[in-house]
Amino acid sequence: MNGDMPTGFASWLAHERSCDAGIDWLDARRRNAAERVREQGVPSSRDEGWRYTNLKGLLEQGFLQPDEPITALQPDDLEEVLVPGLASHRVILVNGRFVPELSLLEDLPPGVRVSGLASLLASDPDVLKDRLNAVAGDDLALFAALNTAGLDDGVVALVDRGVLLERPIELIHVSVGLDEPRVAQPRNVIVLGAGAQAIVIERYLSLGDSLYCTNCVTEVSLGRDAVLKHDRIQTESPSAFHISGLYLRQDANSRYLGVNLGLGARWARTDLNATFGGEHAECDLQGLYLAGDGQLMDYHLDVDHSVPNCASRENFKGILYGKGRAVFDGRVFVAQDAQKTDAAMSNRNLMLSESAEVDTKPQLEINADDVKCSHGTTVGQIEPEMLFYLRSRGISAPLARRMLCLGFAGEIIERLSAEALRDQVSELVGQRLESAPLS
Amino acid sequence: MLSVKGLRANVGDKEILRGLDFEVGPGEVHAIMGPNGSGKSTFAHVLSGREGYEVTAGSVTFEGKDLLALEPEERAQLGLFLAFQYPVELPGVNNTYFLKAALNSIRKARGEEELDAVSFLRLIKERLKILHLDDSLLKRAVNAGFSGGEKKRNEIFQMALLEPKLAILDETDSGLDIDALRVVADGVNALRSAERSMIVVTHYQRLLDYIQPDHVHVLSKGRIIRSGGKELALELEEKGYGWIDAEGQAA
Repeated sequence: MNGDMPTGFASWLAHERSCDAGIDWLDARRRNAAERVREQGVPSSRDEGWRYTNLKGLLEQGFLQPDEPITALQPDDLEEVLVPGLASHRVILVNGRFVPELSLLEDLPPGVRVSGLASLLASDPDVLKDRLNAVAGDDLALFAALNTAGLDDGVVALVDRGVLLERPIELIHVSVGLDEPRVAQPRNVIVLGAGAQAIVIERYLSLGDSLYCTNCVTEVSLGRDAVLKHDRIQTESPSAFHISGLYLRQDANSRYLGVNLGLGARWARTDLNATFGGEHAECDLQGLYLAGDGQLMDYHLDVDHSVPNCASRENFKGILYGKGRAVFDGRVFVAQDAQKTDAAMSNRNLMLSESAEVDTKPQLEINADDVKCSHGTTVGQIEPEMLFYLRSRGISAPLARRMLCLGFAGEIIERLSAEALRDQVSELVGQRLESAPLS
Repeated sequence: MLSVKGLRANVGDKEILRGLDFEVGPGEVHAIMGPNGSGKSTFAHVLSGREGYEVTAGSVTFEGKDLLALEPEERAQLGLFLAFQYPVELPGVNNTYFLKAALNSIRKARGEEELDAVSFLRLIKERLKILHLDDSLLKRAVNAGFSGGEKKRNEIFQMALLEPKLAILDETDSGLDIDALRVVADGVNALRSAERSMIVVTHYQRLLDYIQPDHVHVLSKGRIIRSGGKELALELEEKGYGWIDAEGQAA
């Protein structure tokens, strides 16, 4: 791997033009990230994190980095993109690039700054020096390294200490089909100062069914006592590849309430990494995924309890049908000093067909002796008793199944931060299940 | 309305119903009594179309249709209702959504228009009153975390909403204290009409103090071994099932 990018990823970084941005610290980080990509090369199924996931299909596509700003999205297209009834401070990115004309950021209160990453790098790079890549760190995993090496655009949301932001900040990542399959690598940086409270809704979606790849990285840093509600909703095109890395660091007493929904894409890989920088912080990771024919939903959680007295919840649910596949690889690490850690991980799967498959592997690595940690996993079918109860009330078997699946999913959906979002997601899940084959 | 002839049914290899004959006319209330294991619940389940029972002989006609050939939802759409002995908890399935889906499925099957949200809510509030139920119940998941009494009342509430032609109450009295029993029975009585028939399946005579049957049948070893008026229930209360069983054995 001397000096050369691994085949398949080389084209992602073909236009390294932004590397000469003239910001030394940024160039250094990009170079380091590129080096990390070269070092790691293409993982094989022998690599633990890639045991159940084959990268061949992704590499074959020869995705190119987008090279022209996309203006194809018109204000009229917004209707398809927006959630009816959801009032937000809105940021729109198209194929990974911030589109100020379609965004809605005029009403931001004092102490809140939301801007495109590229424009902020151009106008005020120093703001980002200690924030960009600060949580993800230098020891980047492959796709985060690719994202950093190809760093181009994204969103930065900074909420100053003590600011309570009422309306959610909505980051809408739209992919629009192009002649050639492209990869977008947006970078989101979210920083809440001490005692700040905010809601961030991060959505990934497409117009049309085209083939593309999203490789996004979101870094979240919460100051002391900060509270962030963070909804991440992936409804990419059925032909798309989606790779998502969340890097979260929480200071003392902060609360993170995250909901991750994987409802689209043919191949989706999500890595969630959480670390604590102070005691009495609480991290809540909820997730729901649907996988049908030809789809893979691959989740990797890494929650690092390195300080005492922190709590984490990892609660992921999946509905699989047809030949859908899912992977849940959840790891909770408790360091020797991290006494009074309270961690509970759960992964439950509802299998609607015999040919669906799930590989679930929750792991607790506990090195402290005074902790409360648990994990559980289930893989089951719809209870015949429940199905009969609904049918005995006149409800057809297909509708009864959908109702029970929605009931199963509802526990996660109801945690989304806005009713408009809950309604839309419920409807989407219902539609997906309606078209699902029953065996 | 309902005509059962020579019904035989197995659970696994075991024959539970052994040639059961039974007729229900419009507006009639029939009680089926019998000791544990006599086949009471099996009979209720076979009528409602639950899986796990194999009918080996006989016929069941409901409203002129071959009931046994129908799916459970088709039976419900035709006007059959089973109040469960153990109502099933459906976590995450909202009660209002469930009731609306049920009512509209039945209406649609009958060629009636589906109710819109406003008329549905009006109807629901009106029926809640019959069972003295609080409307907070509507916001909860179906039966999830309900007390025993709430579950049984929710069953009768569903019956009030779905307005079946024939309701089967499977041990509706089990697990209820006297006050809850009275509320449930009042609800059932409020739903009695000249067109609506009921089959009350019970182990104890107690329920029949509150829901007065027109006919009482005693089931033993999968067959009706005695039928009579409501005085038969009292006689059973007095003498116990042993009395009938002994006669059954002798016969």
